[in-house]
Amino acid sequence: MSSQYESIARQHATARVGMWLFLGSESMLFAGLLALFAAYRISYPVAFYEAAKHANLVLGTINTYVLLTSSLTVALALHATELGKRRASVAWLLVSIALGATFDVLKIVEYAQHVGEGFSFGHYYTSTLLPTPAVLYFTLYYALTGLHALHVTAGIVVLIWLALKVRRGDFTPASHVAFENGALYWHLVDLVWIFLWPLLYLLR
Amino acid sequence: MKRYLLSWIALVVLATLSLFVSTSGIALSLAIATVKAAIVAAFFMHLWGSRPVHRIVFVTAVCFIVLLILGVVADVGTRDIAGPYVP
Repeated sequence: MSSQYESIARQHATARVGMWLFLGSESMLFAGLLALFAAYRISYPVAFYEAAKHANLVLGTINTYVLLTSSLTVALALHATELGKRRASVAWLLVSIALGATFDVLKIVEYAQHVGEGFSFGHYYTSTLLPTPAVLYFTLYYALTGLHALHVTAGIVVLIWLALKVRRGDFTPASHVAFENGALYWHLVDLVWIFLWPLLYLLR
Repeated sequence: MKRYLLSWIALVVLATLSLFVSTSGIALSLAIATVKAAIVAAFFMHLWGSRPVHRIVFVTAVCFIVLLILGVVADVGTRDIAGPYVP
Protein backbone atom coordinates (compact mmCIF):
# COMPACT_ATOMS: atom_id res chain seq x y z
CA MET A 1 0.00 0.00 0.00
CA SER A 2 1.21 3.52 -0.78
CA SER A 3 1.73 5.73 2.26
CA GLN A 4 -0.82 8.40 1.35
CA TYR A 5 -3.75 5.99 1.73
CA GLU A 6 -5.55 5.03 4.96
CA SER A 7 -6.28 1.55 3.73
CA ILE A 8 -5.76 -0.74 0.77
CA ALA A 9 -9.47 -0.42 0.01
CA ARG A 10 -9.08 3.35 -0.37
CA GLN A 11 -6.09 2.87 -2.66
CA HIS A 12 -8.04 0.45 -4.84
CA ALA A 13 -11.06 2.78 -4.97
CA THR A 14 -8.76 5.57 -6.18
CA ALA A 15 -7.19 3.28 -8.78
CA ARG A 16 -10.66 2.47 -10.17
CA VAL A 17 -11.65 6.14 -10.47
CA GLY A 18 -8.27 6.88 -12.07
CA MET A 19 -8.88 4.14 -14.63
CA TRP A 20 -12.29 5.55 -15.52
CA LEU A 21 -10.77 9.00 -15.98
CA PHE A 22 -8.10 7.48 -18.24
CA LEU A 23 -10.77 5.71 -20.31
CA GLY A 24 -12.67 9.01 -20.54
CA SER A 25 -9.63 10.77 -21.98
CA GLU A 26 -8.92 7.80 -24.30
CA SER A 27 -12.44 8.07 -25.72
CA MET A 28 -11.77 11.72 -26.66
CA LEU A 29 -8.91 10.52 -28.87
CA PHE A 30 -11.44 8.59 -30.96
CA ALA A 31 -14.10 11.31 -30.65
CA GLY A 32 -11.98 13.79 -32.62
CA LEU A 33 -11.55 11.37 -35.52
CA LEU A 34 -15.23 10.40 -35.39
CA ALA A 35 -16.23 14.08 -35.61
CA LEU A 36 -14.00 14.45 -38.66
CA PHE A 37 -15.56 11.33 -40.16
CA ALA A 38 -19.06 12.77 -39.57
CA ALA A 39 -18.07 16.05 -41.24
CA TYR A 40 -16.66 14.37 -44.36
CA ARG A 41 -19.48 11.86 -44.60
CA ILE A 42 -22.02 14.71 -44.59
CA SER A 43 -19.95 16.66 -47.12
CA TYR A 44 -19.37 13.79 -49.55
CA PRO A 45 -22.24 11.32 -48.99
CA VAL A 46 -22.06 9.61 -52.40
CA ALA A 47 -18.31 8.96 -52.26
CA PHE A 48 -18.58 7.59 -48.70
CA TYR A 49 -21.52 5.41 -49.66
CA GLU A 50 -19.63 3.98 -52.64
CA ALA A 51 -16.38 3.60 -50.67
CA ALA A 52 -18.05 1.75 -47.79
CA LYS A 53 -19.29 -0.87 -50.28
CA HIS A 54 -15.62 -1.78 -50.74
CA ALA A 55 -15.02 -2.38 -47.04
CA ASN A 56 -14.67 -6.09 -46.34
CA LEU A 57 -18.02 -6.67 -44.60
CA VAL A 58 -17.34 -10.38 -44.00
CA LEU A 59 -14.04 -9.85 -42.15
CA GLY A 60 -15.36 -6.75 -40.36
CA THR A 61 -18.38 -8.69 -39.15
CA ILE A 62 -16.33 -11.70 -38.06
CA ASN A 63 -14.15 -9.29 -36.10
CA THR A 64 -17.26 -7.80 -34.46
CA TYR A 65 -18.26 -11.23 -33.13
CA VAL A 66 -14.64 -11.95 -32.16
CA LEU A 67 -14.36 -8.78 -30.05
CA LEU A 68 -17.80 -9.16 -28.46
CA THR A 69 -16.85 -12.70 -27.47
CA SER A 70 -13.47 -11.58 -26.12
CA SER A 71 -15.28 -9.15 -23.84
CA LEU A 72 -17.25 -12.09 -22.46
CA THR A 73 -14.12 -14.20 -21.92
CA VAL A 74 -12.31 -11.32 -20.16
CA ALA A 75 -15.35 -10.85 -17.89
CA LEU A 76 -15.34 -14.60 -17.16
CA ALA A 77 -11.58 -14.49 -16.42
CA LEU A 78 -12.11 -11.70 -13.89
CA HIS A 79 -15.07 -13.57 -12.40
CA ALA A 80 -12.89 -16.69 -11.97
CA THR A 81 -10.27 -14.63 -10.09
CA GLU A 82 -13.02 -13.22 -7.87
CA LEU A 83 -13.91 -16.83 -7.02
CA GLY A 84 -10.26 -17.78 -6.46
CA LYS A 85 -10.19 -20.12 -9.47
CA ARG A 86 -6.73 -19.33 -10.82
CA ARG A 87 -6.50 -22.01 -13.49
CA ALA A 88 -9.88 -21.08 -14.98
CA SER A 89 -8.91 -17.42 -14.88
CA VAL A 90 -5.66 -18.03 -16.80
CA ALA A 91 -7.52 -20.23 -19.30
CA TRP A 92 -10.12 -17.52 -20.04
CA LEU A 93 -7.36 -14.94 -20.38
CA LEU A 94 -5.55 -17.15 -22.90
CA VAL A 95 -8.77 -17.50 -24.91
CA SER A 96 -9.16 -13.69 -24.83
CA ILE A 97 -5.57 -13.19 -25.99
CA ALA A 98 -6.17 -15.62 -28.87
CA LEU A 99 -9.34 -13.74 -29.86
CA GLY A 100 -7.49 -10.42 -29.74
CA ALA A 101 -4.71 -11.86 -31.93
CA THR A 102 -7.34 -13.19 -34.36
CA PHE A 103 -8.76 -9.68 -34.62
CA ASP A 104 -5.36 -8.19 -35.44
CA VAL A 105 -4.55 -10.87 -38.03
CA LEU A 106 -7.89 -10.39 -39.82
CA LYS A 107 -7.28 -6.64 -39.77
CA ILE A 108 -3.90 -7.11 -41.47
CA VAL A 109 -5.57 -9.32 -44.11
CA GLU A 110 -8.08 -6.52 -44.74
CA TYR A 111 -5.37 -3.86 -45.00
CA ALA A 112 -3.38 -6.01 -47.45
CA GLN A 113 -6.48 -6.50 -49.60
CA HIS A 114 -7.30 -2.76 -49.68
CA VAL A 115 -3.74 -1.70 -50.42
CA GLY A 116 -3.64 -4.31 -53.21
CA GLU A 117 -6.74 -2.74 -54.73
CA GLY A 118 -5.21 0.75 -54.62
CA PHE A 119 -7.45 1.84 -51.73
CA SER A 120 -4.59 3.21 -49.67
CA PHE A 121 -4.45 6.44 -47.64
CA GLY A 122 -3.62 10.03 -48.53
CA HIS A 123 -1.67 10.41 -51.76
CA TYR A 124 -0.82 6.69 -51.78
CA TYR A 125 -4.46 6.15 -52.81
CA THR A 126 -4.21 5.14 -56.48
CA SER A 127 -7.61 3.68 -57.35
CA THR A 128 -9.74 5.52 -59.92
CA LEU A 129 -12.76 3.26 -59.41
CA LEU A 130 -14.59 5.54 -56.95
CA PRO A 131 -15.48 9.26 -56.81
CA THR A 132 -12.34 11.13 -55.67
CA PRO A 133 -13.50 12.04 -52.11
CA ALA A 134 -13.47 8.27 -51.37
CA VAL A 135 -9.82 8.83 -50.46
CA LEU A 136 -11.13 10.62 -47.34
CA TYR A 137 -13.16 7.56 -46.37
CA PHE A 138 -10.13 5.29 -46.73
CA THR A 139 -7.75 7.65 -44.97
CA LEU A 140 -10.13 7.87 -42.01
CA TYR A 141 -10.74 4.13 -42.23
CA TYR A 142 -7.00 3.54 -41.73
CA ALA A 143 -6.72 6.22 -39.01
CA LEU A 144 -9.71 4.93 -37.02
CA THR A 145 -9.11 1.19 -37.39
CA GLY A 146 -5.33 1.64 -37.09
CA LEU A 147 -5.67 3.53 -33.82
CA HIS A 148 -8.17 0.93 -32.67
CA ALA A 149 -5.92 -2.00 -33.68
CA LEU A 150 -3.11 -0.34 -31.74
CA HIS A 151 -5.39 -0.39 -28.71
CA VAL A 152 -6.25 -4.06 -29.31
CA THR A 153 -2.52 -4.80 -29.42
CA ALA A 154 -1.87 -2.85 -26.21
CA GLY A 155 -4.83 -4.69 -24.67
CA ILE A 156 -3.28 -8.04 -25.64
CA VAL A 157 -0.04 -7.03 -23.86
CA VAL A 158 -2.09 -6.10 -20.76
CA LEU A 159 -3.92 -9.45 -20.88
CA ILE A 160 -0.62 -11.36 -21.16
CA TRP A 161 0.71 -9.42 -18.16
CA LEU A 162 -2.48 -10.22 -16.21
CA ALA A 163 -2.30 -13.92 -17.13
CA LEU A 164 1.29 -14.07 -15.79
CA LYS A 165 0.22 -12.33 -12.59
CA VAL A 166 -2.75 -14.63 -12.08
CA ARG A 167 -0.54 -17.69 -12.65
CA ARG A 168 1.99 -16.36 -10.12
CA GLY A 169 -0.83 -15.94 -7.59
CA ASP A 170 -0.50 -12.15 -7.31
CA PHE A 171 -4.25 -11.70 -7.06
CA THR A 172 -6.66 -12.80 -4.35
CA PRO A 173 -10.48 -12.83 -4.50
CA ALA A 174 -10.42 -9.69 -2.32
CA SER A 175 -7.54 -7.83 -3.98
CA HIS A 176 -7.10 -7.68 -7.76
CA VAL A 177 -7.64 -4.08 -8.79
CA ALA A 178 -5.05 -4.29 -11.60
CA PHE A 179 -7.10 -7.09 -13.15
CA GLU A 180 -10.31 -5.02 -12.86
CA ASN A 181 -8.64 -2.07 -14.58
CA GLY A 182 -7.02 -4.18 -17.29
CA ALA A 183 -10.42 -5.73 -18.03
CA LEU A 184 -11.97 -2.23 -18.23
CA TYR A 185 -9.39 -1.26 -20.84
CA TRP A 186 -10.26 -4.32 -22.94
CA HIS A 187 -13.98 -3.53 -22.75
CA LEU A 188 -13.30 0.06 -23.89
CA VAL A 189 -11.59 -1.34 -26.99
CA ASP A 190 -14.75 -3.38 -27.59
CA LEU A 191 -16.92 -0.27 -27.08
CA VAL A 192 -14.99 1.66 -29.72
CA TRP A 193 -15.36 -1.16 -32.26
CA ILE A 194 -19.12 -1.35 -31.57
CA PHE A 195 -19.33 2.13 -33.18
CA LEU A 196 -16.63 1.72 -35.83
CA TRP A 197 -18.31 -1.34 -37.32
CA PRO A 198 -21.63 0.33 -38.33
CA LEU A 199 -19.87 3.56 -39.36
CA LEU A 200 -17.26 1.97 -41.61
CA TYR A 201 -18.84 -1.29 -42.76
CA LEU A 202 -22.63 -0.95 -42.54
CA LEU A 203 -22.66 2.46 -44.21
CA ARG A 204 -24.54 1.30 -47.28
CA MET B 1 -21.71 -15.63 -14.56
CA LYS B 2 -25.27 -15.91 -15.89
CA ARG B 3 -25.40 -12.13 -16.25
CA TYR B 4 -22.28 -12.19 -18.48
CA LEU B 5 -23.63 -14.96 -20.69
CA LEU B 6 -26.96 -13.18 -21.12
CA SER B 7 -25.15 -9.93 -21.97
CA TRP B 8 -23.07 -11.74 -24.60
CA ILE B 9 -26.16 -13.40 -26.13
CA ALA B 10 -27.88 -9.99 -26.29
CA LEU B 11 -24.79 -8.47 -27.95
CA VAL B 12 -24.57 -11.22 -30.57
CA VAL B 13 -28.31 -10.99 -31.31
CA LEU B 14 -28.09 -7.18 -31.66
CA ALA B 15 -25.01 -7.40 -33.90
CA THR B 16 -26.83 -9.89 -36.15
CA LEU B 17 -29.93 -7.68 -36.18
CA SER B 18 -27.75 -4.74 -37.12
CA LEU B 19 -26.44 -6.71 -40.10
CA PHE B 20 -29.96 -7.44 -41.36
CA VAL B 21 -31.25 -3.87 -41.02
CA SER B 22 -28.05 -2.22 -42.31
CA THR B 23 -29.83 -0.96 -45.45
CA SER B 24 -32.37 0.94 -43.33
CA GLY B 25 -29.88 3.72 -42.70
CA ILE B 26 -27.08 4.73 -40.40
CA ALA B 27 -29.40 6.11 -37.69
CA LEU B 28 -30.84 2.69 -36.89
CA SER B 29 -27.37 1.06 -36.99
CA LEU B 30 -26.06 3.66 -34.53
CA ALA B 31 -29.10 3.24 -32.28
CA ILE B 32 -28.41 -0.51 -32.09
CA ALA B 33 -24.71 0.23 -31.45
CA THR B 34 -25.71 2.51 -28.56
CA VAL B 35 -27.77 -0.27 -26.96
CA LYS B 36 -24.81 -2.67 -27.39
CA ALA B 37 -22.45 -0.12 -25.83
CA ALA B 38 -24.84 0.34 -22.90
CA ILE B 39 -24.86 -3.43 -22.29
CA VAL B 40 -21.05 -3.60 -22.34
CA ALA B 41 -20.74 -0.59 -20.01
CA ALA B 42 -23.46 -1.71 -17.60
CA PHE B 43 -22.56 -5.39 -17.21
CA PHE B 44 -19.06 -6.15 -18.52
CA MET B 45 -17.66 -2.88 -17.14
CA HIS B 46 -19.84 -3.17 -14.02
CA LEU B 47 -21.27 0.34 -14.17
CA TRP B 48 -24.59 -1.22 -13.12
CA GLY B 49 -24.45 -0.94 -9.34
CA SER B 50 -21.02 0.71 -9.33
CA ARG B 51 -19.99 3.73 -7.27
CA PRO B 52 -21.69 6.90 -8.58
CA VAL B 53 -18.30 8.52 -9.29
CA HIS B 54 -17.58 5.90 -11.98
CA ARG B 55 -20.89 6.64 -13.65
CA ILE B 56 -20.29 10.40 -13.44
CA VAL B 57 -16.99 10.02 -15.33
CA PHE B 58 -18.59 7.76 -17.95
CA VAL B 59 -21.65 9.96 -18.52
CA THR B 60 -19.49 13.11 -18.70
CA ALA B 61 -17.28 11.53 -21.36
CA VAL B 62 -20.33 10.43 -23.39
CA CYS B 63 -21.84 13.94 -23.13
CA PHE B 64 -18.60 15.55 -24.34
CA ILE B 65 -18.37 13.19 -27.32
CA VAL B 66 -22.03 13.80 -28.25
CA LEU B 67 -21.53 17.56 -27.88
CA LEU B 68 -18.43 17.53 -30.11
CA ILE B 69 -20.04 15.45 -32.84
CA LEU B 70 -23.40 17.27 -32.71
CA GLY B 71 -21.61 20.61 -32.97
CA VAL B 72 -19.68 19.49 -36.06
CA VAL B 73 -22.74 17.86 -37.65
CA ALA B 74 -24.91 20.91 -36.96
CA ASP B 75 -22.38 23.16 -38.68
CA VAL B 76 -21.37 21.05 -41.66
CA GLY B 77 -24.90 19.71 -42.14
CA THR B 78 -26.56 23.10 -42.41
CA ARG B 79 -24.10 24.92 -44.67
CA ASP B 80 -22.80 23.96 -48.07
CA ILE B 81 -19.14 24.37 -47.21
CA ALA B 82 -17.59 21.30 -48.77
CA GLY B 83 -17.26 22.25 -52.41
CA PRO B 84 -15.67 19.88 -54.93
CA TYR B 85 -12.88 17.71 -53.52
CA VAL B 86 -9.40 18.93 -54.42
CA PRO B 87 -6.69 16.30 -53.97
